[in-house]
Amino acid sequence: MPDIKLVPPHPAGTRPTSPASGEVNKIRVLSVLVEDGQNTLTKVSGVLRRRGFHVRGISIGPSRQPGRSRITLQIDHGHAEADQVRKQLERLVEVIEVEDLTGDDVHSRELVVATVAASELNGLLERGAKVLSTGPGGTTVEFSGERQEVGDFVDELTRHGIVDVVRSGPVVMRRTA
Amino acid sequence: MVLEALEREGVEYIFGYPGGANLPLYQHLPEHPRLKHILVRHEQGAAHMADGYARARGKPGVVFATSGPGALNLVTGLCTAYMDSVPMIAITGQVNSTQVGRDAFQESDVIGATSSVTKHSYLVTRIDQLPRVIHEAFHIATTGRPGPVLIDICKDVQQAEANRVVPDYVEIPGYKLNGHVNLDQAREAARALAGAERPVILAGHGVLLSHAERELMQLAEAAAAPVGTTLLGIGAFPVKHPLSLHMTGFMGTGWCLKAVQNADVLMMVGMRVDDRVTAKLSEFAPNVKTFIHVDIDEAEMGKNVRSHIELVADARLALEAMLPHLGKVDAGRAEWLGQIDRWREEHPLRYKQSNGRLQPQDVLIDMYRRARSEAIVVADVGQNQIWAALWWNYDRPGLFINSGGSGTMGFALPAALGAKFGRPDLPVWCVAGEGGFVMTAQELSVAVEHQLDVKIVLLNNFSLGMVRQFQDDFYGGIRSQVDLTHMPDFVKLCEAYGLPALRVEKFEDIAPSFDAAERTKGPFLIDFRIDPEANVYPIVPLGKGLNEFREAPEYA
Repeated sequence: MPDIKLVPPHPAGTRPTSPASGEVNKIRVLSVLVEDGQNTLTKVSGVLRRRGFHVRGISIGPSRQPGRSRITLQIDHGHAEADQVRKQLERLVEVIEVEDLTGDDVHSRELVVATVAASELNGLLERGAKVLSTGPGGTTVEFSGERQEVGDFVDELTRHGIVDVVRSGPVVMRRTA
Repeated sequence: MVLEALEREGVEYIFGYPGGANLPLYQHLPEHPRLKHILVRHEQGAAHMADGYARARGKPGVVFATSGPGALNLVTGLCTAYMDSVPMIAITGQVNSTQVGRDAFQESDVIGATSSVTKHSYLVTRIDQLPRVIHEAFHIATTGRPGPVLIDICKDVQQAEANRVVPDYVEIPGYKLNGHVNLDQAREAARALAGAERPVILAGHGVLLSHAERELMQLAEAAAAPVGTTLLGIGAFPVKHPLSLHMTGFMGTGWCLKAVQNADVLMMVGMRVDDRVTAKLSEFAPNVKTFIHVDIDEAEMGKNVRSHIELVADARLALEAMLPHLGKVDAGRAEWLGQIDRWREEHPLRYKQSNGRLQPQDVLIDMYRRARSEAIVVADVGQNQIWAALWWNYDRPGLFINSGGSGTMGFALPAALGAKFGRPDLPVWCVAGEGGFVMTAQELSVAVEHQLDVKIVLLNNFSLGMVRQFQDDFYGGIRSQVDLTHMPDFVKLCEAYGLPALRVEKFEDIAPSFDAAERTKGPFLIDFRIDPEANVYPIVPLGKGLNEFREAPEYA
C-alpha cells in the first residue's frame, strides 16, 4: 500500500509556482539505492536535468548489496515542489529506493585532498588533517568533515598556498538513535 | 529468439522498417507467420501506427527499426506515446556490440536519444540478457501507468545462438506499481465529495486506461456531481448525460470552465493536471476548498496542484473504494446543477453557419451522424483536433484517439491505419488538417497496400489554422508563415497513391461525398475546402486564467 502523506510538504491547495523561501529550504539530501548498469547514472542525471533540479553534490559507491550502488545527492529542487525530486527518481526502473535525509539527524561527510606549498602545517594538523605524502613539490594532506568544516578547511589551506585541491561529494547516513 | 519471444507475448502486428542493423530479425521473420509485419514508409509512421493500434486494441503496439536514422525517426512517435501513456515496444537494431561507441556506420546513441521519451529502455549486448529483457519490457510497458519501452539490440546479439530459456516470471526490484487504494484516503475523498456544495469531477485518460467508466458514472450519479473530461479523457463520461460538462481545459466548453472556476470541491481522476487543463495555474479553480487527486503515478501528485486528498491508485479501484462511503449527499446540490444548466444555455457551443463557405463543424456533424458512436475517430493536431473533440456527443469510451500531450502533427493518418489493424470490426475515420496530413502522407501506401477501410476527412483551409488563429488573436494579428496555398492537389495525390478521393467545396456536397466514401470499400479521402477563417471557440487566451475564455461571436 502506498504511503500517502496526510501532511504534504507544501500546504494543500497551493500551486508550486513561486520559488520556495530561503535558499537552504530548497536543498534536499537524498540517498538513492540503484541497480548497477550502463545507463543508470545517465537516467538519474537525465531526470534531474529534465525536471529542472540542480545537483549541488553527488557521490557514488558500492552498497552492501551486490550489483547495487548508493548515490548520495544534494539537490536544489528549483521551482518544483520539494518532494518531486524523490518521486521523479522513484519512477525510474533502475532506482530501487530513495530515502530523503533532508533535515534528519545524519552524519554527512565530505573528503578533501590537497597539496600545499608550505611546510608549516600546524594549523591544518590541529584541525585533524592527515599527511599523505611530502616531497619537494609540497605536502599532500587529507581531511574529512561536514560541508562547513571542509569549507573552512579549504579556507585555511589557501593561507598555506594551495598547489592542488580536490573535494568529494557528500556521503550521508542517518544517525542511529 | 526475439521473434519467438514476441510470439509468446501474443504479438499480432509489427510495424517496421528493415535496415543494416536489424537484418537478422528480418531474415527470420518469414519463419513466424503469426507475426504480421506491416512495412511502413517512414519509421515515424511505424511508431504512430503502433500507437493507434495500441489505443484501439488495448494491447501494446510493436515497432521495428534499424540503427541510427531508423531509430531516431521513432523519437517523435515514442514521445507521442509517452506523453499519452500508450503501451509500446520499440525494438531497434544497434551496431555490433564490439563497434558500439566507435561511430560505426549508422550508429547512434539510441538509449541516450530516447530515454526522456520512454518509460524504460534497454541496450542488449549479450544474448543471455534477451529473454528476460523482452519479458520485462512487455510487463513494464503494459502495467501501472503504461508507456513505451525501447529495446536496442546489437546486431551480433540478434545473430547469436543460445539456449532458449524462457523466464516464467519477472522480478524488477526498482519497478513500483501503485495499484492499491489507501482506504482511509478513499473514505475521506468520498466524504469531501458528498459534503461539497459545488462539486466537480474531472476525468482524464487514466479513467479509460483502467476501464473505470462504470465506476465514474456510479460515483457521479450517487454524488450528483457533474463530470468534465480532458481531451484524452473523452468518452469516459457520456456527453449527453445530464451531469456531463463535456470537455474541460483551455479550449473546453464554457459551462465546464465556469463549473471548474466556481467549484468548492474538485476531484481530478486519472489526469496530469497539465497547463492545457489549468491555463494560468495561479487562477485555476480559485474557489476550491478541497482538491482531490486520483492518479496511479505518484509523481503527478503535487506536480502542478497540491491536493488535499491524494489517492495514488488505479482509478477504477479508487472510485470503487469511494462508492460505499459517499453517505448522505448535500441537499443543496440542485441549486448547483441548476446553475450549471444556466451556464450551459448562456455559453453554448456555436459556429458560423451562414457565410456561404464550408464550415468544418458541418462536415464533422455529418461524419459523426454516420459514425453513430460505433466508429473510431482519429484526429490530428490543431483546429481539426478540437473541432473533432467538441462537435460530437461521445457516449462510449475508446472511440476518440488523438495526440493530446505531445500534440504531434502527422499523427492521425498512421494512427488511424494502426487503429484499423487493431479493430478491423469498427469503422475508422481519420480527421486531419492539410498541414499535419502531409507530414506523414506517405503512409497512404500502407492504406492502399492493405486496402484498409479508413475514411480520411481532410479539413483543408490552406493554412496552419491554429497557428493562424493564435497569430490573429494573441500575436498582434501578424500572419507569419502560416500560408499553405502551395499544397498538392489532394485528389490527384490520392490518384497517384491509388486510392479514390473527392473534393468538396459546398455544404450540399458533404452528404453525397460521405455516401460515396461509405459505399467504397478500402481507403477514401475527401478534401473538404473549408472556410479559411474558421476558428476554434471557446478559447482561453495564452497566459490567462480559465475564467477569461473567449467565445464565438453570436452569428446572425
